[in-house]
Amino acid sequence: MLTLSINGTSHQLDVPDDMPLLWVLRDVIGLTGTKFGCGIAQCGACTVHLDGQAVRSCVLPAALAQGREVKTIEAMAQDPVGRKVQRAWLDVEVVQCGYCQSGQIMSATALLTATPKPSDDDIDAAMAGNICRCGTYVRIRDAIKRAGEA
Amino acid sequence: MRRLRPVLLGALCALVGIAFADTGRAQSPTGAPGQTVVQRGEYLARAADCAACHTPPNGQEFTGGYKFSLPFGTIYGPNITPDKATGIGDYTDDEFVSALQRGVGRGGKHLYPAMPYTNYTLMSREDVLAIKAYLFSLTPVHAESPPNDLSFPYNQRWGMVFWNLLNNPDHRFRPDTAKSPAWNRGAYLAEALGHCQACHTPRNFLYGLESGRAYGGAVVQDWLAYNITSDKESGVGAWSDDDLAAYLSTGHAPNHGPASGPMAEAVDHSLRHLAQSDIRALVTYLRDVKPVRTETPPPRPVRADALGERVFREACVSCHLLDGGGRQTPYAALQGAHSVRDPNGTNLLQILVRGGAIATGGPTAFMPAFGGAYGSEELAAVANWTIGHFGQRGGAVTRKDVEAVPPPGPASAARATPGG
Repeated sequence: MLTLSINGTSHQLDVPDDMPLLWVLRDVIGLTGTKFGCGIAQCGACTVHLDGQAVRSCVLPAALAQGREVKTIEAMAQDPVGRKVQRAWLDVEVVQCGYCQSGQIMSATALLTATPKPSDDDIDAAMAGNICRCGTYVRIRDAIKRAGEA
Repeated sequence: MRRLRPVLLGALCALVGIAFADTGRAQSPTGAPGQTVVQRGEYLARAADCAACHTPPNGQEFTGGYKFSLPFGTIYGPNITPDKATGIGDYTDDEFVSALQRGVGRGGKHLYPAMPYTNYTLMSREDVLAIKAYLFSLTPVHAESPPNDLSFPYNQRWGMVFWNLLNNPDHRFRPDTAKSPAWNRGAYLAEALGHCQACHTPRNFLYGLESGRAYGGAVVQDWLAYNITSDKESGVGAWSDDDLAAYLSTGHAPNHGPASGPMAEAVDHSLRHLAQSDIRALVTYLRDVKPVRTETPPPRPVRADALGERVFREACVSCHLLDGGGRQTPYAALQGAHSVRDPNGTNLLQILVRGGAIATGGPTAFMPAFGGAYGSEELAAVANWTIGHFGQRGGAVTRKDVEAVPPPGPASAARATPGG
């Protein structure tokens, strides 16, 4: 039995210790905003926050999230930085197909929380590993800068 | 002659050893009060890491079948559950003691020194029999190991008589009264039980340990067992006590990277089960190991490697981060890791191509295998970039080095998609 705190709510979960957190979020709890992409931490679609740090939930054993705060895309509207990021995303119209975007927004929010005015290098470092099949990278960079100025 | 010298020296040591055989009483790790012999035996079996070589991959503990690929053939660790037909169920006390202390099994059969009886020989009879009591408390499992496949003359077991004369001192551990109790306890754990030298000390052409370079590092089954002498540059002399203790008991220490490959297995099967006092004793002993400087070619300059950097940014940053800090778990940290400071990338290539995993009581931390996904040119480039970027030295990894690593098996590929 695991106890996980997800978006401020405590969940008692009867799942194996090594079940990836992504499975717990989507299949057990029903938070489907976080996406499955590659399953081997190569694409970033499954990014969530663990104590504010962006992690890949597809390769994170659920037991490692015990005693720490998990935040998903569903909580970003209540997060002051997450709200700014989502606003900027809409203003710039970043999204094309949208599949990778919850992961992009989670990585961008973690970056801006730690570094409110990121340089291009900061953005490169933080967003590397979040890939976008539609190639929205230029708009993502633009929106991150805009959110940093907001 | 230069290669023979350690052998002759070993022979001399063996003769001296025989002269002093059985004169001292081994210092046994003391158990908690009220501990049964079986409980003590279990602790000792963990400390001696029996499970590492007597457990099949992903199989039931102690049922045998673990494969050793040696330069002269393949042998398998046998079943050591008390099954009478395929295990050790018929062993008497004396036969079991003989196997561990002299390398001579039931019916006079000579064991191969993949079984570290040249270390276990230092164990007291009392400790050996406690291990036997523990193994005999297990459920017997009928499991036949595959037959060994060794080339001549190594397939002649009787030949071990001469090897043993040279290499097995056959005497019990003798505490050094000039040293502290912690040092002696650490020595007993490292030399008699943990058999750390079996991997970390280079071997001569007769597979005997080069005692002059004890703990100086060696390549074993394709993995580099690092120099763990007190040398500040080549060994672990510059590590703090706390870092050494953390690495031994959890497989990870800040700024030293994670244990991987066979060392990850040693942490999982053995070291993480040891009491902190025993871990500290090991640290005390390791601190005092004679420094051995590993001779390395002059460092090559770090060269810019656009392909390597691109692959790292695409494939590696997700878990390791661009600064090597590690994103998912502390085990993903590359900063300070020994594997990225080895210009040949020996262990780095094993992990890159075949993947890696470490279980330390909690859920398994793992890295997927990249051998099937990237070509040898890309993997060589990313290895060299990683060594240059995090190890601050020029990597010397070539495509050929990558191609020499066997491709990942189905087991490691399956690890890439847990639950999937």
